[in-house]
Amino acid sequence: MRPARSRMDGDRFLTWVCVGLPLLGLVLFFLYPMVIVFLRSLTVEDGYGLANYTQVLGSAGFWRATWHSLLMGGTTTALSVFLGFIIAHGLHRCAFPGKWLVRGIIILPLLAPSLVQALGLIFLLGRNGVVSRALGTEIEIYGFWGLLIANTLYALPQAVMIIGAALVLLDARTYEAAEVMGASPSRQFRDLTLPAARFGILNAAFVCFTITITDFGNAAVIGGDYSVLATEIYSQVVGQRNFNMGAVVGIMLLLPTVISYAIERQAMKRQRTGQATGQVRYRPSFRPLRDTVMAGLSLLICAGIVAVIGIVVYASFVTLWPYNMALSPKHYDITLAGGYSSLWMTIVISVMAATGGTLAVFLLGLGLRRLPRTAAQPIQILAAMPAAVPGMVLGLAYILTFNSTATPLYLLYGTAALIAIINFYHYHTQGFLTLMTGFRQLPPALEEAAGSLGAGLGRTAIDIVAPFIAPMLVSVFFFLFMRSMVTLSAVVFLTTPDLSVAAVTIMRLDDAGLTSQAAAFSTCVMAIVCLALLSMKATLALMSRRHHMKEAA
Amino acid sequence: MYLTVRDATKTYGTFTALDRVSIEIDRGEFVCLLGPSGCGKTTLLRLIAGLSDLDGGEILLEDTALSDLPARKRGFGIVFQSYSLFPNMTVADNIGYGLRIRGTQRSEISARVTELLELVKLPQVADNFPNQLSGGQQQRIALARAIAVDPRVLLLDEPLSALDAKVRAELRDEIRHVQRSLGIPTLMVTHDQEEALALADKIICMNHGVVVQAGTPEDLYHRPRTRFVAEFMGISNLLSTEAVAQIFPDLLATRPAGADGAHVVCIRPEQIGVTPAPDGNATVRGISFLGNLRRLEVESPGGPLVVETHGADTCREGDRVNLHVASEACTWVADDVAQAPAESQS
Repeated sequence: MRPARSRMDGDRFLTWVCVGLPLLGLVLFFLYPMVIVFLRSLTVEDGYGLANYTQVLGSAGFWRATWHSLLMGGTTTALSVFLGFIIAHGLHRCAFPGKWLVRGIIILPLLAPSLVQALGLIFLLGRNGVVSRALGTEIEIYGFWGLLIANTLYALPQAVMIIGAALVLLDARTYEAAEVMGASPSRQFRDLTLPAARFGILNAAFVCFTITITDFGNAAVIGGDYSVLATEIYSQVVGQRNFNMGAVVGIMLLLPTVISYAIERQAMKRQRTGQATGQVRYRPSFRPLRDTVMAGLSLLICAGIVAVIGIVVYASFVTLWPYNMALSPKHYDITLAGGYSSLWMTIVISVMAATGGTLAVFLLGLGLRRLPRTAAQPIQILAAMPAAVPGMVLGLAYILTFNSTATPLYLLYGTAALIAIINFYHYHTQGFLTLMTGFRQLPPALEEAAGSLGAGLGRTAIDIVAPFIAPMLVSVFFFLFMRSMVTLSAVVFLTTPDLSVAAVTIMRLDDAGLTSQAAAFSTCVMAIVCLALLSMKATLALMSRRHHMKEAA
Repeated sequence: MYLTVRDATKTYGTFTALDRVSIEIDRGEFVCLLGPSGCGKTTLLRLIAGLSDLDGGEILLEDTALSDLPARKRGFGIVFQSYSLFPNMTVADNIGYGLRIRGTQRSEISARVTELLELVKLPQVADNFPNQLSGGQQQRIALARAIAVDPRVLLLDEPLSALDAKVRAELRDEIRHVQRSLGIPTLMVTHDQEEALALADKIICMNHGVVVQAGTPEDLYHRPRTRFVAEFMGISNLLSTEAVAQIFPDLLATRPAGADGAHVVCIRPEQIGVTPAPDGNATVRGISFLGNLRRLEVESPGGPLVVETHGADTCREGDRVNLHVASEACTWVADDVAQAPAESQS
């Protein structure tokens, strides 16, 4: 009996283009490379087999790196969730002045390549670091402890945001009811706050764990001899040119992240169902003891972040660390081959990734709304999958896929476009999910009204949908831009002597012993990302002001 | 007929939303689709609008099949419950949007917008944005937007449900006035029988995905064919054959043939006369004063009844009364609702 509408009209065709193009992208630039990396892990001299796996599983180095990764992941998670809870609780449940400062400082680590935390720690606690010289003792910062601190700083912003989002959901009336029933503040915390935040905490734990075990930048700079899976892949691929073994280690790294991501998604779903409409926001009143302690702790953690990142900026201006502390801009004259060219290239790549990426997820979201559920659901699942894949593994998959002359995709190898593409697919999930929240707020009646007035899909998209979700589009654009500016793990395999990106240059400068120049380069990247963040905030503020003016006029 | 729906069928998985529904709308006619939520009325409206596809049957506009035509090519106007004005456009841009798509001259659009704003009595809001307007104002603009393109059919999907009572009554008259003066064939979906009675030339009463009865408002109110329609259209006393035999034995003469349970009688509260009598067989149990009328709950030998009286205050709670009803003022209806007769009031 169906479908009654047999003729293929223009809109049906456009819908399939909207879904088809981004879907083709996902298949070519995510699914296909992942299949290739999996096949390569099974490739042995005379065909396919498990020989690579037995070899990797039989090596002591692999087990050491795995143990290190898990230990590091677990410890970092515990520490960053603990500290993150303190800050989130302070921000949402306590009353003290200067919260804007805490909010501002806590996101700093997201604005820099992950190896900046490591650089900062070296300037602070390294052999020639401020602290070591002041105390006259030598601290061994390379290895477990240095990496733990660097990773914690890197994971902390995520923990604060996720736990904060859970704490915001708590209804003030619940607390008022508990108060009237005679529950003490500590009971309220134990019986109301903690249970309500538990999915947020669980969620934050999985995110922190994934970030930590997949991070490459910090491990490369401050890990020293403390090998982890991410550095193990790097040494297999770049050091020993053993791609198949790298693929095996990559698959092994993929296991925990996929599991962790799957649980995290479940936890998120559980949290969302707990939400009620028309809730009253909790407004904390000042309690001297609780609030001074919480403010003090929050500021202490923030001071740590500022010290680690600030010292990088400071050191970039010091003439000869630590012997001549006079300030000079001489390290900004980058002596490594290429100089600042990689910085400009990174900006170009980031703009490409942000523009193309925003357009792609917009088309996908637009098309998915018009597909039947049964068709839309598998595509949605696929679109949310890239977040489970560590950057190192995706990067390795890309080099195996695009550096092979077997397909015409080879033409992309060594181009800026391919780096823009990997950056987009590396962060595809976050961009896609953000935009889908926007699409969910768009009432279907708006599109239907436009449709019955005679507007086709194209017109509806431009006149109605895009203006409605413009704030989300802006957020996704700047998110992709900022991530592309600082990411290292996914692109480290794809850079060539002629084509490098900022984060890789910073790593090279540090490797070459030009630590101050690495600091200078990092400062430039951070400045650009901060500028992007401010532009985003300004654009969004402008948009909401225009919106409110409409209301007030 | 101008618009004909023939055997329209729509299923969602195992759920049948519409089961071979046929309706007709004549030129200039105002038709209301009335029924409880989930009865399939909105599904039918969306099929006619082209917002979803038929699983079976056909929709004809002046004998041309519409099935292959997407919503945007049908040239219909639609107004939703949720206003659905485009938030990023001014009122004038909203109203002129359909004309802009059709490539109408700018000056012509602006003249038409002014004319329509006059028609919906909001001439001063052209440059405002939707979120500056009240719900009632937004719905007027949505109406203006829908009729701006001279739609071949106007579709209204519960346009008044989101408004408060006073605004609702005002806008109801407005819709009626606009529809009458422009003569646009109109189909409105509503679950409010009062709205349907006030607006419609023809009411199509639906339940469980089928049309239960179609006719003029008077038909449906005074001559319901089934118990469902009788209960849905205002307040009614529904009495089983047994109860009728006890209170109004005269009425049995008009009863159609059939098993005891097959028919019940429907008597509207205003059709029952009350006379105070110390030896009456019924007792007044409660009185609600409703301004223009008085509603009595009466305990009779056949069970409780609702009676509405105008004029002088003749009885008190606890008074004994006699009840009488003219045999032409009642209707025997098929009992299509499984329910105990004792709880027959709605």
